[in-house]
Amino acid sequence: MSGDEELAKDLGPLAALTIGVGTMIGAGIFVLPGTAITDAGWFAVLSFVLGGVIALLTALSASELGTAMPRSGGAYYYVNQGLGPLFGSIAGWSNWLGLAFASAFYMVGFGEYIRAIVGPEFVLSLAGQSVAVPVSVKGIGLLGGAFFVTINYIGAKETGRLQNVIVVVLVAILTVFTVYGASRADPGNLPPGKGLSPTLRTTGLIFVSYLGFVQITSVAEEIKEPSKNLPRAVIGSVVLVTAIYALVLIVMAAAVPQGFIAAVPGNQVAVVEVGREIFSGLGSFLGITASGLMAGALLFGGLLATASSANASILASSRINFAMGRDRILTPAINEVHPRFGTPYRAIAITGALILVFIVAAPINTLASMGSVLHLVIYGLLNIALIVFREADVEDYDPSFHVPLYPITPIVGALVSFALIAYIDPRVILLGGVLVGAAVVWYLTYARSRTETEGALSEYVRRRSDELPDAAVDAADAVAPDGGQYKVMVPLANPASEADLIELGANIARERGGSVHAVHIVSVPDQTSLEYAAANVPKFDDTSDELLDRARLDAEELGVPVETSTIVSHQSFAEVFDAARTHDADMVVMGWGPEGHGAPGRVEGRIDELTQDLPCDFLVLKDRGLDPQRVLVPTAGGPDSDLSAEVAGYLRRAFDSEISLLHVADDVGDGREFLATWANDHDLGDAEQIVESGDVEAAIARHAADATLVIIGATERGMLSRLVSGALALDVVEDVDCSVLLAERPTNRSIRDRLFGR
Amino acid sequence: MTLLSRVVVPVASEADAAETAAALAAHDDEVGAVTLVYVVEKAGGAADKAGVEQREEAAREAFAAFESVLSDTTVDERIVYDTDVVDGVLDVAREGDATAVVFTPREGGRFVRLLTGDVALRLVTEADRPVVTLPRHVDE
Repeated sequence: MSGDEELAKDLGPLAALTIGVGTMIGAGIFVLPGTAITDAGWFAVLSFVLGGVIALLTALSASELGTAMPRSGGAYYYVNQGLGPLFGSIAGWSNWLGLAFASAFYMVGFGEYIRAIVGPEFVLSLAGQSVAVPVSVKGIGLLGGAFFVTINYIGAKETGRLQNVIVVVLVAILTVFTVYGASRADPGNLPPGKGLSPTLRTTGLIFVSYLGFVQITSVAEEIKEPSKNLPRAVIGSVVLVTAIYALVLIVMAAAVPQGFIAAVPGNQVAVVEVGREIFSGLGSFLGITASGLMAGALLFGGLLATASSANASILASSRINFAMGRDRILTPAINEVHPRFGTPYRAIAITGALILVFIVAAPINTLASMGSVLHLVIYGLLNIALIVFREADVEDYDPSFHVPLYPITPIVGALVSFALIAYIDPRVILLGGVLVGAAVVWYLTYARSRTETEGALSEYVRRRSDELPDAAVDAADAVAPDGGQYKVMVPLANPASEADLIELGANIARERGGSVHAVHIVSVPDQTSLEYAAANVPKFDDTSDELLDRARLDAEELGVPVETSTIVSHQSFAEVFDAARTHDADMVVMGWGPEGHGAPGRVEGRIDELTQDLPCDFLVLKDRGLDPQRVLVPTAGGPDSDLSAEVAGYLRRAFDSEISLLHVADDVGDGREFLATWANDHDLGDAEQIVESGDVEAAIARHAADATLVIIGATERGMLSRLVSGALALDVVEDVDCSVLLAERPTNRSIRDRLFGR
Repeated sequence: MTLLSRVVVPVASEADAAETAAALAAHDDEVGAVTLVYVVEKAGGAADKAGVEQREEAAREAFAAFESVLSDTTVDERIVYDTDVVDGVLDVAREGDATAVVFTPREGGRFVRLLTGDVALRLVTEADRPVVTLPRHVDE
């Protein structure tokens, strides 16, 4: 790692820990304990501990995955890599919306604190006139939400450092509260526990207090020595907040008389009133009573805690958006960095709008439960993703932290995460289910045609397709990403044929509803390093930009989406194959001529290997001017003439071409029958059909005289590669006067390869 | 050696890079080696406002925008990480012993400058070598 990259990682262990603790502590202590104790009695303590245990199981898995893949995006990224983009979509959307719900929840909590401080009315005195402004919790929540979204939109780096201070202050306040509160505790005060079911329901509600640790993984790329610090921060933050929650809950349940919490009026906050009560015997100092001081500290703490939770959640959600955009689950346009503020302003603006809508639309407990339910979905998937990574033997999977007691830990982690969902309000489960369903629909209708990531799971299923049940293989096939839309790659070397090649490629792409990728392949001498050449393209070929600009204009004129790139290579023809492979092209349309791709013999070493393995359909144009008015298609059947027929079909639709089919057979009668069937099979039944006997090449040459374009399918494997590289001469191409299009289709691609977009 | 024979050019975004390149193109024959710098602003011990990978991507887009305008000039590209943009730019200039730092100040009202800090002013006042500002639109 270079020194510069080292500088990019500047989150120490404490900073990483406070991201987790800061995100979690706001909800757990400062908003929910009152409800929890009212609902579950002293078992509320158990609810928080159980939530902590569930979180810890997932934290162990998150730590292992985080040390294996310290990338932006965290939980979403692991699920996407492990289980594929279908589950990736579910995890991404759940994580994003879950954080937005949670942020809305924190902001409503923030509003409750403001109201507890200011009172139900705020009297505004202006020019002798007094106006009573009612303090609305949701109104304050909206203002607060808008404020923190703005902070993140502008990107004040100070807020990040403030987070560390806030966490330290909160822990200090809560330590004083617990230590003194414990001395006042009396088991006789404990409100009776309310049984298993209310306890589990309470766990479901308060689980929103355990979302923070997974946000640490979303900034994993910024953590110093992630192999060491990431597990410490993730596991440490869960253990720390679980301990704090449990102790605070014990004090709240045992240090005040039974019924005290239920009697706290709706416009006050339970934890503050408990603080006021237990410190009431302590007298006063300089006119400030200890109980007033504690209540003030807790009110202040509540503001800080809910604010820091919301702030950290908004920040974390923008990382998830980035990772989703990077994988094309969302449009990459969402990743635009603000030119001034350097922030992912689009992602933050959208998240901000969602938060404000959620604040208005739902009551506080629904917001909390939605945050819980969506995160429980992610936690379940994350544990399963870990199992997949371990079992599928993924090559680069090399975590430095290993989950103890594998596979029990992640299995139990996944089961309890999903099981806890059952104890959440059924209406919330339904809404969560709708959102998950929407994520699936999103994947199938939007993301599937764009994303190219294939999860470790479906790779595993495909590799074991013989051993595994067909249903599993079919299911993997059915939801696999289809590698994007139909992509026609047009390698350009000779400016003279640019227009013809692009016209041909773009028309085929348009017929297929796809896009064109124009690639300028610049050959450089073997002595020149490719890195040097890539940085200095104009030195080797100063026409590159001009050529690609023209290609772009030509394709755009035809209304076909186009992208362009320059590739520097020592072996320009071989590079076409590599480029087609790396860019997942479905078809390559290239020119061929003396000035074309590579001199004869240059790529001989690789030719044999190449010919066995065409990456996609290839069309090679011997360009004598593209005029597809009258197209001659000689055919003898076979896969390559399938491709010729397809191309003829595209040309007919795009250019209104007249198609003539030519078949040379020993027996003209048999030949007619064959050609008629073949034409019908290939939707060319209405084309002119010519059947002759005799010499094939002579017949082609004779009929080509009337044609403007001849499309010839390769008659043997690797014919094109050898033709283009000069290793094979085909007289017919020289015998005719019009342009000739040679078509070759790879045969070694299995159906499944095609399905998986490989 | 002239003022522009070895320049460090900070770029902040795709649009900024394209404008800077266009401004620099007017002095094409004087400009020697160009080092483009994109500073990824770090929070220094807290979570950043945007992911590092995300801003590295933005940096590459800015570099590409620069090169597409000024395609004949050889440029060296540097992504640096610093808690302060101005320091990051000046460090690169110092390392490469640049003859000047060249940039095009961006428009922005008082409020935006207040929020983002006046990078242009600080660059001019804190530099230990010549700083050349180029007008954004030559013909306007």
